[in-house]
Amino acid sequence: MLRQLVLIWVVAAKDLTIEYRSRQAFLNILFFALLILIIFNFAFDPGSRATHEAAPGILWVALLFPGVIQLGRSFQMETEEGTLQGIMLSPIDRGVLFLGKFFANWIFLVLIDLFILVAFIVFFNFSFSVQLGWVVLLIMVVSIGFTAVGTIFSAMVSSMRTREVLLPILLFPILIPIILAAVNGTQEVLIREETQFLVQWIGLVIAFDVIFLASGFLVFDYVVGD
Amino acid sequence: MLSATDSSLFNFATVYIRFARWLLGPLYMMMVLALYGVFLYAPTEKEMGEVQRIFYFHVGAAWNAFLAFFIVFLSGVIYLIVRKKKWDHLAAASAEVGVIFTTIVLCTGPIWAKPVWNTWWPWGDPRVMTTLVLWLIYVSYLILRTSLPDGEKKYKYCAVFGIIGFLDVPIVWFSIRLWRTIHPVVITKSGAQLEPEMTQVLMLSVATFTLFYIVLVAIGVALRLNASLLDELTQKVLDSRIKQV
Repeated sequence: MLRQLVLIWVVAAKDLTIEYRSRQAFLNILFFALLILIIFNFAFDPGSRATHEAAPGILWVALLFPGVIQLGRSFQMETEEGTLQGIMLSPIDRGVLFLGKFFANWIFLVLIDLFILVAFIVFFNFSFSVQLGWVVLLIMVVSIGFTAVGTIFSAMVSSMRTREVLLPILLFPILIPIILAAVNGTQEVLIREETQFLVQWIGLVIAFDVIFLASGFLVFDYVVGD
Repeated sequence: MLSATDSSLFNFATVYIRFARWLLGPLYMMMVLALYGVFLYAPTEKEMGEVQRIFYFHVGAAWNAFLAFFIVFLSGVIYLIVRKKKWDHLAAASAEVGVIFTTIVLCTGPIWAKPVWNTWWPWGDPRVMTTLVLWLIYVSYLILRTSLPDGEKKYKYCAVFGIIGFLDVPIVWFSIRLWRTIHPVVITKSGAQLEPEMTQVLMLSVATFTLFYIVLVAIGVALRLNASLLDELTQKVLDSRIKQV
């Protein structure tokens, strides 16, 4: 058990080290998210009531769309450099490989998301309050499900010609329930300033996380194995 | 030299075709009967009027769409265990028919909803929204199928996606239900008390659609078996040509 955890960390640390050394991707994706936030402010009347109420939706578009790009990169690099074969030759379980890749992607996305959240609060004129803790919690649990499904699909499409367009096509229909939960949960915290349904939304997201982490762990062998 | 009996695939495709052909007679009879039942036998609904007759097509298609996607899930699981490509062919044929049936549901729904609920598209109704998400998931399943060349990789990926897509359905259902309790949508269910004649026609309609589904899937599987047989034979001919040269 402990050995497996160490192996998960080894796989994740490898990806995180690559990201840390280049930092290019991190900044690119962050910039893309920033652009989305700004474009939405041009698309709607900034400061108006309608924009204020649509803000949680805008936040999640700015979190998920750049996130897909990161997930796509996760296995594309491995395929391009031929390093996936090296990993496959190493004596680790495919489920462990999945969890390692998942964990690296998750850390990466949550870090980006926190930066975006700060930009969002500034652009949309919310205040830094304790309530934001709920939004951060939502970001963390939604990212788990998002990354779990995204890592499976990323491995599937990495060797395909149409991968850039295929990944979002496969991913977003599956994600609809957690997008619904994320937007509505954020709306409750930021707009209506209550927590009546918040626990139920978070529970739903956690159910999604558990189901797809488990199925990713089980089916990953079929996705990367020969 | 080559003969058609070289591959066992040939026989299987014929079996499926024969099976479908054998079912065609009963299917036509049931279709005529169901049409008679829907338009002449079933009484007109008091409040909704003639438009309610769309219900028999709507429910028949919906039930079979769910059946079709369940078969996609099931044959995906079986494929991953036994690795026989006929299970992938079954999943593929079933998904195609399922998407067509879901499209029927999503087209007949608004025609019925507009006069009855005064809206084309009741966002927030769990059944409507779950069907819409199902349609999205399985259209993307078909897109995935067309993006991959035939082979074991394609079958594995599609099986995985079919399983994940199906596991998503209950979560979608609960999320829409929770969403709806927050934004109540004003839809009054007109009493779902069905006349006995209506129930009979509904049963007949669902049975007809199910038989239709079976026939279409059998033909779809046969089509795929024949296609892979054709590939195999082409390869053999090419190989023997190369040997002659």
